[in-house]
Amino acid sequence: MRIVIIGNGVAGMEAALTIRERDAKAKISIVSEESDHFFSRTALMWVASGQLSHQCIEPLERDVYPRMGFERVRARALGVDIEAQTVELAGGRPALPYDRLLIACGSRPRPGPWPGTELDGVGHFVTLQDLEWFEAELHGGPGKKGRPQNPDAHLEASSQNSPYLPRKVLRAQRNGRPPAHPAVVGGGLIGIEAVEVLAAAGIETHFFIREPWFWPIALDDRESGFVTRRMQDHGVKVHLSENIERLDGTTSVEHIHTDRGQYPADLVVVAIGVMPNTDWLESSAIKRDAAGGLVVDQGLECSAQNVFAAGDCASVRWWNGAHRPEQLWYTARDQGRLAARRMLGDQVSYQRGVLYNSAKLMDLEYTTVGLVNMNIEGEQNWYFEERGRVSSTTRITVAEGRVIGFNFLGRRWEHTVLTRWIEERRALPWVLEHLGQACFDTELTPPLQISQAEKDAPLFGPAPSVMKETTRAPLA
Amino acid sequence: MDQQGQNGLLRTFRESWRNRGPIGLVTSGGLISFYLLLYFTDRIDPIAASLGFRSKWLFYGFVYCLLMIAGAAYYLSKHGNSRYNRVRIATNVGVQVALAFTLPLVMPMFGQPEFYFSYVWPLDWYKLHPQTLQAVPVYLAVYSLGTALLAAPLLAYFFGKRWYCSWVCGCGGLANTFGDPWRHLTSNSTRSWRFEKFFVHAVMFVAVISTFLLFLVHFVNEPSSAFHTYVAGDQWWSMKRLYGAVVGSILAGVVGTGLYPIFGPRVWCRNFCPMAAMLGLFQKLGRFRIAVKPNMCISCGNCTTYCEMGIDVRSYAQSNQSFTRAACVGCGMCAHMCPRGVLKLENAPRLQPEKRRQGLPIVDL
Repeated sequence: MRIVIIGNGVAGMEAALTIRERDAKAKISIVSEESDHFFSRTALMWVASGQLSHQCIEPLERDVYPRMGFERVRARALGVDIEAQTVELAGGRPALPYDRLLIACGSRPRPGPWPGTELDGVGHFVTLQDLEWFEAELHGGPGKKGRPQNPDAHLEASSQNSPYLPRKVLRAQRNGRPPAHPAVVGGGLIGIEAVEVLAAAGIETHFFIREPWFWPIALDDRESGFVTRRMQDHGVKVHLSENIERLDGTTSVEHIHTDRGQYPADLVVVAIGVMPNTDWLESSAIKRDAAGGLVVDQGLECSAQNVFAAGDCASVRWWNGAHRPEQLWYTARDQGRLAARRMLGDQVSYQRGVLYNSAKLMDLEYTTVGLVNMNIEGEQNWYFEERGRVSSTTRITVAEGRVIGFNFLGRRWEHTVLTRWIEERRALPWVLEHLGQACFDTELTPPLQISQAEKDAPLFGPAPSVMKETTRAPLA
Repeated sequence: MDQQGQNGLLRTFRESWRNRGPIGLVTSGGLISFYLLLYFTDRIDPIAASLGFRSKWLFYGFVYCLLMIAGAAYYLSKHGNSRYNRVRIATNVGVQVALAFTLPLVMPMFGQPEFYFSYVWPLDWYKLHPQTLQAVPVYLAVYSLGTALLAAPLLAYFFGKRWYCSWVCGCGGLANTFGDPWRHLTSNSTRSWRFEKFFVHAVMFVAVISTFLLFLVHFVNEPSSAFHTYVAGDQWWSMKRLYGAVVGSILAGVVGTGLYPIFGPRVWCRNFCPMAAMLGLFQKLGRFRIAVKPNMCISCGNCTTYCEMGIDVRSYAQSNQSFTRAACVGCGMCAHMCPRGVLKLENAPRLQPEKRRQGLPIVDL
């Protein structure tokens, strides 16, 4: 069987490994425009800040391709011919024939919708090439040790519209100095990562957030204020409810204009979200949703036969029936494994279960489980802020008398326990009584203590949400 | 990680120092020279005497404490936001200052021998020599035997070898304070693991057998016999002298500390320390483990990079596997560095196999 996988991120690599485990003879080709080696995209910020080397963030040893018999193709895929079952490649390479095709080409950064984003000094923080640009601006160059041997191999074969093109580095123009007035636009996870990298380098950074508070998709205003204070403690200038109007400069960016004023800027990281990296499939007869995600069924199969999609580019069915991508590390991994089994003929289907995720925002651990900020019909929220030796917030979302979601900042929690409680349809008083069992803090951390008065505190109404319509909570 | 360092002098210095640059190599050379002078010459004695120390070893202990305190301040400035780190480092430095410097300094003033309570056999190989046991007061002999043969293994069974290696031991204490800037240099390659497995167990074997032989010649053999000379004689080639020179001086001092800036701060603990090897076996049988929260790992590599014992923690975390490794000294840095809170050190009854969850949202039709 000839298997072609587009993308060697976590979804593509997990799929390749899963197939190889079952089928020693399958011919597996992994096409990547971005990099020679599989790396953890979620770890880019630590490389940029100098905490890890390029090689540190590669979860597998570099010999995995020859050892597992994966053919590595460094080229941009230009399209899929679903009749002939071939993948067209850039640079005049012969088309790759397939029996099963997995598209796991991930996301690309959403470009800024303002004038001036084409200026030098404006970039993103999503791809390996973005990382190298950011490192070069901040530290004068990417780490020599552990740098992929061939990071620019895609150049000859790439198109101008690629997110994997290296960007021009302005450091030389600044006499070898890092930027003095960097700005980050976009109040989400990638935005705060870029801000942390700049803060770690000791550079005062302006952080522009369109919404009235940071990360409204996941946090309510009080939780977000908690994070914002941490950013301010580290010298970050946080601008809330401030819209970018344009960037200006002669050849490179010099100023950033917002609806509140004008700021000098010599480096701008645009982090206003990602979108499925599927514009190369425009002329291929594969169904995409409005945002560009590849619409897949419960077996992760696309509208074309023998074509599967996994990871950020796959538009999967959510718990409320909508189709959209799940842009998370572990869902990409699970989808890659599942698509591989499906390609091998297993009758398996993708079911997401209770949602959960975690992150670290500055030095605050963040854990979420279940339906939080989802605009659930009749939802109410219980909130507790801990101020003492540990600073933390705890928010529990309740609907129809049972707990449906958790949002935590500042402490570590065991999401499997919380998931079980949601599935067991536990009531709020029971959950508060047993909350300690879900604690996953490091040893000797003072335990979370909540007084009875706090436990009995009145609930407040629905948390602000980006979901416009209310939905009934699913029966877990 | 070795960036080209154009962000000013401090950064250039720090990169070079921490990432095997010229300053790191010079630091290593300086440490090696110091240990060679200390162990194999008399050059340190006049310095110690001029500072009023009874012996060069007390002077060394003083310098050791200073380095640990400075290193602890550096470590806590970076990682002091975890209470485990604060308590552990404070305990370790406290033990070193009180039990490995102040008590040995003061005890002779009260007619007692200079006794180092925090060093236990087989790390302090001389503690269980028949001559030593006979020379010290009975309560100290009982202490030596009790800690080495009873307390240390029992505590390792219940709490892991970390109770010693990361909370009490001076070698571990220096590694976790003064040596902390280099912890990411420890190799986690398969080759380094093979080297470690062979050598650490070989030294442990030699330490146990040689102690046994010393008892044998002491109680059985005639002092004038050739066997006695080979084992416990005063010539440089006797077993007793060779062990002291090779293991005690070269491996623990010159190599163990001198190579901090090149191979990371646990070169001795990981590859040669007989105590670590022995406690590791009890740890493997015991209750200590690193618990992994399933399906939350993002494979970033912080845990593996900052493991000073070269354990590939990430490989366990991404396969949802709670684990106990004999090498783990329980410093807690993997759990501390983890940005997703996936790892947790704990002492718990051993897990049943079915508790290693699958966690995949796959439903067979």
